[in-house]
Amino acid sequence: MTTPDLLLDVKGLEKAYKPGVPILQGVNTTFRPGEFVVLLGLSGAGKSTYLRCLNRLVTPTTGQILVPRQVIDHHGSGMLDLCQANNSELRLWRRKVGMIFQHFNLVKRLSVLDNVLAGQLGYAGLWKGSLRLFSKAEKDRALYNLERVGLIDQAYQRADTLSGGQQQRVAIARALMQSPALILADEPVASLDPKRSVQILDILHRVAMEDRLTVIVSLHVLELARAYGHRMIGFAGGKVVYDGPTAGMDTAVIARIYDQEGTDDAPSPSRVTARLS
Amino acid sequence: MPPAPPASPPDSLNAKVPIVRPAEPRRSIKVWVVWGFVLIAMAWAFLGTQFNPVALVTSSPKMAQLLQQAYPPDFTTITDPSIYSKPPELTLWQLLDPVPLGGDLGDIKARWWANVFPQTVVGATIQTIQMALAGTALAVVFAFPLSFLAATNTSPNKWLYHAIKLTVNFLRTIPDFAIGLILIAGIGLGAFTGTVALAFHTTTVLIKLFAEAVEGIDGGVVEAIQATGARYMQVIAYAVVPQVIPAFISFILYRFETNIRAAAVLGLIGAGGIGFILKSDFSLFRYPEAATTVIVLIVLVMLVDYTSARLRKAVI
Repeated sequence: MTTPDLLLDVKGLEKAYKPGVPILQGVNTTFRPGEFVVLLGLSGAGKSTYLRCLNRLVTPTTGQILVPRQVIDHHGSGMLDLCQANNSELRLWRRKVGMIFQHFNLVKRLSVLDNVLAGQLGYAGLWKGSLRLFSKAEKDRALYNLERVGLIDQAYQRADTLSGGQQQRVAIARALMQSPALILADEPVASLDPKRSVQILDILHRVAMEDRLTVIVSLHVLELARAYGHRMIGFAGGKVVYDGPTAGMDTAVIARIYDQEGTDDAPSPSRVTARLS
Repeated sequence: MPPAPPASPPDSLNAKVPIVRPAEPRRSIKVWVVWGFVLIAMAWAFLGTQFNPVALVTSSPKMAQLLQQAYPPDFTTITDPSIYSKPPELTLWQLLDPVPLGGDLGDIKARWWANVFPQTVVGATIQTIQMALAGTALAVVFAFPLSFLAATNTSPNKWLYHAIKLTVNFLRTIPDFAIGLILIAGIGLGAFTGTVALAFHTTTVLIKLFAEAVEGIDGGVVEAIQATGARYMQVIAYAVVPQVIPAFISFILYRFETNIRAAAVLGLIGAGGIGFILKSDFSLFRYPEAATTVIVLIVLVMLVDYTSARLRKAVI
């Protein structure tokens, strides 16, 4: 399988939860395989909504999100527009896209191992997945992924017995379980202290290098963004105000990102998409 | 001792900060109107029910007499072995062994369990428990899958959600004894009718309770499982069910308690169980026997409440 040149080609992406209140306004971006990209911006700038458009947890109002069909199907060719994709195509894409959340979003009453195995659901049979009947090979892979984040000894503990940093590592293992081509991380360290933040981003960076994953991670702390991102996309008011190498971030760029009027009343996408469809 | 607060703020504050006194809100006339309505409604209700405290007092000797007649309770309805009238063809062991017997003996045994045993207080009590258990279990089987369609956050389709919600809301308004009366006309008297009536009503109640629990879950987990490419049922099973299991179990136990009481009431209209015995006792003016039945009913309800409270604590 040859590596496609582009993993994502986003064109004219717009999203408004309520008509007349746009969250994203005409975003154009492309991502190449293997990139580690940081999205930087204030709360309400549209980062979360943008990330959720990329795995279609949020349905864009208009625009195109082109992804190579090859990623979801070995024999596929050409590009698939996620905005036009049917449900089964969306599921095939989603299972190749791991997602990491600010609040970890583990199933608290299940074991750590069961939480990692959730990453297998897109590949599992309908009933076997629902009843949490996984094969030994699948469990071994889950344990391997837990080992990669350093939590194999906690495999059989209930997820809510872990600390915040540990829970986020489980979430990374769950994403790795999907054998993803892309990982989306929505403020993955916003609920963690500085030491844990560095630890989580280190792990994310390491597994991305090892597996040649594309990672798009949103952050709002400039120092962390500088330390990890190769490329930075600055969001302000639902628009991309900077897209380039991290080194090119000068004070003018930073001012454009941070000196926006706060839009705290913007709806949080996780609230909006909590509805199952 | 903490230092006493100054009696008044320093003079300098009083003198230098000019204040504009905001207009004090007037007590609105609305309050008086609301009070008026409440009083009129109360008067209307008490008059309509021909509420008569004097009757309570004048009838008290009659009630005392009735209680006197009921005392002492006649416990022979429980203790007298001849009440259980064991069929002579069967040994006690054959009668109590849950494994079914074949042939004629099996018929005699079945008839005893279906007709003779429930006529005793002990038998009717056991039957009441069985009705509540079976009715609740049946209701859980139907309510569990339907509740996910009746919750805003997990329903796959807006119209399906409204259709189920509307139907369930309508059906829930029919009390279980009303369903019992309708079913008795159709199926006939007996515990089976009572069980179906309980199951029907409990299904509608559990769908509402379950759906509300589902609507209270952490949507982030749903989002996370959805993001793995999981299908609808997998998301429900993986992200929703583990979050609602404690609440569901608590609701099931609560409904089981309620159904014990409801099963007793259903007996009064002829749908089996201890209520049926109570009704026969009263209509035959057997007050000491009725007293025993009431005591058994009280003990039963207390035991069930206690047990389910313990179970609920263990679950949560």
